[in-house]
Amino acid sequence: MNREPVSALPTVPAIAIGVAPIVYADRTLANGLRVILVPNRRVPSVAINVAYRVGGKDDPPGRSGFAHLFEHLMFKGTARTAPETIDRLTEDVGGFNNAFTSEDITNYYEVVPSNHLERLLWAEADRLASLDVNAANFATERDVVIGEYDQRILAEPYGMLDELVNREAYSVHPYRRGVIGSPEELNAASLDDVVAFHATYYRPDNAILAVSGDFDADETSRWVDAYFGAIPRPAQPIPRVHAVEPEQTAERTFEYRAANVPLAAVEEAYHIPSAAHPDAPALDVLETVLGAGRSSRLYTSLVYDKQVATNASAAADLREHPGLFGLRVTCARNVALAVARAALEAELERVRAEPPDEAELARARTQIASSVVRSRQTNSGVALMLVQSTVVRGDPGLVNDDLARYLAVTGDDVMRVARAYLRPENRTVIEYLPA
Amino acid sequence: MTVSALPAPGAPRDATLPAPVERVLDNGLRVVAFSQRNLPLIAAQVVVRRGAAAEREDEAGLSALVAALLMQGTTVRGATDVAAAADALGARLDAASGFDASQLSVSATTPAFPYAFALLDEVLRRPAFAPREVERVRTKSISDLALTYANPGLVARLVAQRVAYGGAPYGHPVAGTIATLEALGRDRVAWFHERFYRPDDAVLVIGGDLSVDDAFALAERELGSWRAAGAAAEVAPDAPIPPPRSQVVIVDKPDAGRTALIAGRVSIARRSPDYYAATVAAAVLHGYSGRINQEIRVKRGLSYGAGATLSARRMPGLFTASTLIDHTRAAEATDVTLAVIRSLVDAPATDDDLVSRKATVTGAFYRAIETIDGITGSLAEHALYDVPLAELAAYARRVQAVDAAAVRDFAARAMVPDDFVVLVGDASKFAAEIARTHAGVRVIPSAQLDLGSPALELRSAADVRG
Repeated sequence: MNREPVSALPTVPAIAIGVAPIVYADRTLANGLRVILVPNRRVPSVAINVAYRVGGKDDPPGRSGFAHLFEHLMFKGTARTAPETIDRLTEDVGGFNNAFTSEDITNYYEVVPSNHLERLLWAEADRLASLDVNAANFATERDVVIGEYDQRILAEPYGMLDELVNREAYSVHPYRRGVIGSPEELNAASLDDVVAFHATYYRPDNAILAVSGDFDADETSRWVDAYFGAIPRPAQPIPRVHAVEPEQTAERTFEYRAANVPLAAVEEAYHIPSAAHPDAPALDVLETVLGAGRSSRLYTSLVYDKQVATNASAAADLREHPGLFGLRVTCARNVALAVARAALEAELERVRAEPPDEAELARARTQIASSVVRSRQTNSGVALMLVQSTVVRGDPGLVNDDLARYLAVTGDDVMRVARAYLRPENRTVIEYLPA
Repeated sequence: MTVSALPAPGAPRDATLPAPVERVLDNGLRVVAFSQRNLPLIAAQVVVRRGAAAEREDEAGLSALVAALLMQGTTVRGATDVAAAADALGARLDAASGFDASQLSVSATTPAFPYAFALLDEVLRRPAFAPREVERVRTKSISDLALTYANPGLVARLVAQRVAYGGAPYGHPVAGTIATLEALGRDRVAWFHERFYRPDDAVLVIGGDLSVDDAFALAERELGSWRAAGAAAEVAPDAPIPPPRSQVVIVDKPDAGRTALIAGRVSIARRSPDYYAATVAAAVLHGYSGRINQEIRVKRGLSYGAGATLSARRMPGLFTASTLIDHTRAAEATDVTLAVIRSLVDAPATDDDLVSRKATVTGAFYRAIETIDGITGSLAEHALYDVPLAELAAYARRVQAVDAAAVRDFAARAMVPDDFVVLVGDASKFAAEIARTHAGVRVIPSAQLDLGSPALELRSAADVRG
């Protein structure tokens, strides 16, 4: 074959990735609704996010899974609209909509052609102001959510792992109940609970509206004032979770056995501070060094070299309140859990003993910075990062400092947070085994 | 402004797309460049204009194997080192193949991109095809087929391809069969790569946060020395596509949870002037408010979902409507599906009906071009099928210009007549009922099904045992 001589790829120098700040308008209406607008007229499409500061941790006592069940009910119609109106206003005009519930947030979002923005603002304001749930569609939707539990938690291999991690790692904080809840408590929920929950948390001073995309800021502000501005702010205070998880002083281990477990797996969950804590960026870099991509330490060591695992991952789950750093390993066939755990522990010892070298740190920074840049490509990505930063970290503006904060993380920072948090007495171990 | 009533939509706005610029390098590589500098990201895609349609029947799966192996090591670095290099650059590097093309794509931030593009060049031109990696990818592909064959919806799609195309290109499975994959080795992989991965039969699309001049310079620097191994690849003349024919093919799969149903026919090539009318016609059927879902799910509760697709290709591709239903209601669903397709002519959509259906098409388009990967992919598709690149900027206007008469006319010619029906499920629950009202019903026991054969069935009982 006629080819030029082989030359190695040039050595990659430290890559300086910069990105312009997201320019947004941020104001709070008299009724407390926070409104963030990011005009960008490149593509005639617009993303709308309405985030409520309520999630799994805020479920009423004895009603675990309620925030998530409630999210489903928000599609069931209002005093003025039929069920699934939001679906028709989005899908039928070339857009889409969805929603998710996490521990801290319930977020509703739509992407539509920009000439439909006013209609979606009307519809979102409408379902914030009034909800029309009856006994019939409440019962149907509750069955849908329990079906989701059966499918995602019970039927999926390892489906119970996230639930177990939350339940065992937290002793006091309501994060221990997870988000999906339990069928028993979902079945105990009543229509009265629905009405009370809407009145308690679905109020303008508990919501953030972010709009990103093709619109005129002044015109949109007028629509927001007209549709959301008239919704009253209730007088009673919004209940907040004040529970503080006590410091863990000894390792906890929990063994779980289930029929549909193809290979033994383990998760080690370590308590870490909240997303707003100064250690958060170093924890994200630690996650990347240990677990991001095929060149990460866990993949290279456990999966490729030692072949004791088919899968090994790390995740800094940073939340509004102190979260968890999870290390998850699925054993290779015929490898004992203890062997895989020993290989994991060796990697933890290494990351606690010495800082990653410059090349490894540069790789991690580049991976994180690249994903920060990519996440800004779509209007929905921009709107989501702004509402999440507002709810979980208390400030939308932090999204513009993230890159600098990641790039400032040093090797010593990574070692320091590994030593500070990845300690055996600070962890909960879930062993997930075939029955 | 009244708060109580849903406001009307405003006037639709058009998109401003970056203008693509073209140049052909000395080695024959067609380069399409665009500049869009809203974010520090650059993407590139090399599209080689040969894919599974260039494979021999008995080598089905070869082009997919080649694409998968490009990512598994070069002459200067092993499989994990390719991944490590991409990670170090924060780059995304992927390879894939379809019937009409094989492609490699990369994206990275602006400062990392020149290195990521050099990595793409290395992966494209210097694959090692190490025997160990060939064996590993082949083994994985074969085990993936077991998952495919367990899924009635995927089996129905593969059977539909055979029913529509027989032994013509587009008939065989892109992923191959167990038999064809077992017969493929490193020699054939290297042969396909050498013969078809060549600059004079390829397109490079590159764009994002750089000027078009810089894009061309980068293309020249990395790919200017790319040379074809020999004379232009000759591809055997394609077997003719059989004319569409009404027929019902049932694969009896008693262990299927539900019956997969696909109806349709060979319909349209991407370059056809009817492309936009065809796209809108498919949208009349597709989507939550599309006619198929309305009739199958909303009115009759036969299934959780049903939809229609149109895959316009170099040669005429398939129009299909599909759903998953309970075995006992498969006969009913067959008649409903065929009636819905016929309604494109019997009860044609009006211009008013088309407003929302066209919006679903343009809305999806605008979402696709939000990212530079999306723009790159759309330009690559235009280039691959020799559609003028200027059409991309005109896409929404072309869709809007389609009227009810054009939709009805296209459907009457290339969607409604002579549709096949493929059903994969427990035939004991529906085959007799269908045979009462449809002529030419063929039932294939799933143990006899051979997707490697244009006739779909194993030739003899001896083959069954193998």
